Amino acid sequence: MKRLLLILSLVVVSGLARGEAALDWTADEVRAVGSHGPWPPAPVRDPSNRISGSPAAAALGRHLFEEPRLSSRQVTCGDCHVAGRDWRDGRARGLGKVELDRRTPSLWNVGYQRWFGWDGAADSLWMQSLRPLLDVREMAGSAPAIARLLREDTALACGYERAFGERPGADDEKLLVDGAKALAAFQQTLVTPRTPFDDFRDALVAGDRAAALRYPVTAQRGLKLFVGRGNCATCHFGPLFTNGEFGDTGIPFFVRPGEVDSGRYGGIARLKASPYNRLGRYSDDVSGVTSTRTRHVEAQHRNFGEFRVPGLRQIGRTGPYMHDGSLATLEDVVKHYSTVSLDRLHSDGVPLVRPLGLTTEESADLLAFLRTLDADTPELPPPPPLCP
Amino acid sequence: MRPWLTLLAGVISTPAWADCPLDLGHGTGIVVFSDRYMLALRPDPLRIEVGQPFALLMNVCTKRGDPAELVLVDATMPEHKHGMNYAPTIEADGSGRYRVEGLLFHMPGNWEVAFDVRSGGAIQRLTHDFVLK
Repeated sequence: MKRLLLILSLVVVSGLARGEAALDWTADEVRAVGSHGPWPPAPVRDPSNRISGSPAAAALGRHLFEEPRLSSRQVTCGDCHVAGRDWRDGRARGLGKVELDRRTPSLWNVGYQRWFGWDGAADSLWMQSLRPLLDVREMAGSAPAIARLLREDTALACGYERAFGERPGADDEKLLVDGAKALAAFQQTLVTPRTPFDDFRDALVAGDRAAALRYPVTAQRGLKLFVGRGNCATCHFGPLFTNGEFGDTGIPFFVRPGEVDSGRYGGIARLKASPYNRLGRYSDDVSGVTSTRTRHVEAQHRNFGEFRVPGLRQIGRTGPYMHDGSLATLEDVVKHYSTVSLDRLHSDGVPLVRPLGLTTEESADLLAFLRTLDADTPELPPPPPLCP
Repeated sequence: MRPWLTLLAGVISTPAWADCPLDLGHGTGIVVFSDRYMLALRPDPLRIEVGQPFALLMNVCTKRGDPAELVLVDATMPEHKHGMNYAPTIEADGSGRYRVEGLLFHMPGNWEVAFDVRSGGAIQRLTHDFVLK
């Protein structure tokens, strides 16, 4: 017993010598922190995409991701979702043929999302992948051109056959959708590595005080704010740090004088009108189990100006922030939530977003925690050849 | 959930309510009642998770044994005064048993589920609270 106490004392003393300490955590706090893991989750399998999870499909998708011939403008998916820049462009607003109204989101962990796009107008990653392919402001592709490419390019046709188990057929629209499904299969492989937060979370849940000591005390204080008074975890929930839904965070929704971005409200309308949603004939989920959300989602007035709650993994490296890129730095985001105007938010009940009134120290703590959600990511190896 | 199991046991042992088939499978369920109605319900899956769709299996009864109908199911967070982002649908099997599909609680906290039931003319609303952590 004396020896155990001595070892524990040495662990604590050596931690303190490095400026480290383990805060006291209540059972409720441990449960709340534990809910943000474990990480990584099981690989994504989307029943609406019959090639989801297939290495051959991911290889085809990787080639298509960097393929300028998908676009009449000779641009690629990777021009905006840049591999070496955390799969985003770093701009406040995306740039296609013209400047767009929303920010290009990072693709890290995108396969785990339930709704896609800032307004959730897509209910699958393959449906979302169709949008920039066909949008005249972005890649301005077309079903006949993309189908012809998949049929006539020897390497892509071979890659298609390996992924789908058949030669590219004559149906242009089916080939367009299959191309998007291959793109989705590739994007589903983009999963962030474990972070310092994950190590602390596991140590806290396991009661491993020595391992918990390695997590900076400022980040611990920030984490307590995050799951406690800050109320951040209500929306930034679970291992992905998002509840997968939508919220109004007090960012103005005017995109130009007299013109607003309706956000989720318009997204639901576009989702329901699209032939490519999970209720349509292109979904491969014959059970219909994964279409429950699409069947039951219903636009409500409060959806106006709501945007998807983003996950927070890699958050320190994927600015600028908010759906319109209007906040340049993570410091700006913390300041926004510290001082947000309740007048703008129009809540009848206790508002989910309310000014936190953080002190300088609290803001620094929250930032310290958020930055522990970042991980160094390995360089992506060159794409494997589609066919030898 | 445990207090409701206790309540369920109490309800089952009450002879006047014995005609309402409360066993919804898996030997568990929740009972909600008023002076006139009794509802038995069980989530499917049994454990409700934040952000995950679920259904409710329900029996709707009156204490006098009259036919009763489930008219509407909806859920709100009273603290924040907002509802779900999804509109549930009700499927009846014709014998007082229902399956309510398309419920989804998108945040942790207290969710109040409202059940509008009718036997004869007037609709009565019963409620039950689910607390998600």
